[in-house]
Amino acid sequence: MSSALYTSRRVKNVLAMIFSVIATGIGLLFLAWILWETLSQGISALKPQLFTKITAYREEGGLANAMVGSLILNTLGILIATPIGVAAGTWLAEYSRRSRLGPTIRFLNDILLSAPSIVLGLFVYTIVVLPSKYLTDGAVTFSGVAGGIALALIALPVIVRTTDEMLRLVPGTLREAALSLGVPQWKLTLQILVRSARSGIVTGVLLALARISGETAPLLFTAFGNNFMTFNPLDKMPSLPQIIYEYTKDPSPDINVLAWAGAFVLTMFVLALSLIARFVFSRSKVSHD
Amino acid sequence: MTNMNDVVSQPGFGTSPHASGVDLGQVPAKMTVRDLNFYYNEFHALKNIAMDVPEKKVTAIIGPSGCGKSTLLRIFNRIYAIYPGLRAQGEIVLDGENILDPKYSMNRLRSKVGMVFQKPVPFPMTIFENVAYGIRHHEKLSRQKMEERVEQALRGAALWDEVKDKLRQSALGLSGGQQQRLCIARGIALKPEVLLLDEPTSALDPIATSRIEQLVEELKKDFTIVIVTHNMQQAARCSDMTAFMYMGELIEFDRTEKIFTKPDKKQTEDYITGRFG
Repeated sequence: MSSALYTSRRVKNVLAMIFSVIATGIGLLFLAWILWETLSQGISALKPQLFTKITAYREEGGLANAMVGSLILNTLGILIATPIGVAAGTWLAEYSRRSRLGPTIRFLNDILLSAPSIVLGLFVYTIVVLPSKYLTDGAVTFSGVAGGIALALIALPVIVRTTDEMLRLVPGTLREAALSLGVPQWKLTLQILVRSARSGIVTGVLLALARISGETAPLLFTAFGNNFMTFNPLDKMPSLPQIIYEYTKDPSPDINVLAWAGAFVLTMFVLALSLIARFVFSRSKVSHD
Repeated sequence: MTNMNDVVSQPGFGTSPHASGVDLGQVPAKMTVRDLNFYYNEFHALKNIAMDVPEKKVTAIIGPSGCGKSTLLRIFNRIYAIYPGLRAQGEIVLDGENILDPKYSMNRLRSKVGMVFQKPVPFPMTIFENVAYGIRHHEKLSRQKMEERVEQALRGAALWDEVKDKLRQSALGLSGGQQQRLCIARGIALKPEVLLLDEPTSALDPIATSRIEQLVEELKKDFTIVIVTHNMQQAARCSDMTAFMYMGELIEFDRTEKIFTKPDKKQTEDYITGRFG
């Protein structure tokens, strides 16, 4: 029982605590800084017309068409990626146990997860945008659909990965319990496992949504952009990140301010999504005891 | 004690095809295990197991960790088969048919042999649905009939009075002991003939444990029960027959009273008296 031992432990404890607090502080500092910077730079543009007017009016306009475009593109991306991603993740977690294909696909999925998004954009440009020329007598066919597909390719590996991981977190005893009742694997998967992992899977989808809502590069050669409001997914479609990208390069300071305001809205949107994701996930943990 | 069965013909070593170990007296065997060997890939986990599980009695399987007692239990409903690399050889005859025969329908086996696991594993649904879920897979019942069956199962598991007013609430809100009884209800709802209990009380407190033990006593009127337990007192308290396993072999299988008072094998005695294990 040497008190020197306790003292040295206490000192180490305090030091570790200080370092963690500093590290946390640095992380939070940058988040606050980003929010503050975007807010203070864009505050003068944060008025109702930001949400009601379109970019065609330039300085006199807002970002309404970009927000609507982003909404449509993200929805398309998530709608395409979610069923495929959840199904693939389920296959990986539940059905690939006995095959060598499982780990291979998991590995490939991880590669897709870290693939540069501009490459995915170029890929979709090559396989969707260029060939569709033949359907439109040679007219250039950038479209919301192409953008949605590009975003789906980014969201897909995120959803596959989280679904796979969330299902693998479901205790094996739950599988055994259901199978020991004679319940077939497909019923077990759909009615019990996916239900147990549901909030984790929803969280994954929300995180994928947060991820794609900030993507610019894959949209440049696919959705292209549009200064007018459009609801037609076959039309060229604007998006917030792409407008921010264009507006920050603009020589007019008034346009730059709009870019900042757009950045602020986008950041808040992603922040809200992350918070919702956390909320969904933490609620599920409670119910699983 | 006129029926003391001292006729132990080399139990567990499987030298004779009739090495069931014990004359069960009047009680017919529900399940007959012969020359059973089990492998985890290359590892030979169970060696020439032979035993007769008596009908409507409680058979306890005891032994130190890693002796293969859970492995043996998990062969009785072939739940091991969901994992790759595991295989069983030999035969387990249930009502005249070898359940290890690949032709034996898994559906039929699982409806005849129910299982309750170490940790309570309620499904993420309501209490009612937890019990109804398995039934629905095997039988089409009217709403009313289903309600009767669920009530019957919950009563059978001594849980009805505690949950009858909250059948539509999530089963995840029940206490550990209640959840385990719910799992028993879920198992007996299918009206199985054999009920396998894999250390059903090891995650429960003493009060919940004693409720489960009382329940086992009740259940043996209707079911043949095989229980794996770490707890020797539990085996002594609630079983009629006890099998002692060690290193993948069935060392001794006899009436519980005999195993705990004058076992034939030295190893059994050492384990019972706490000299190893």
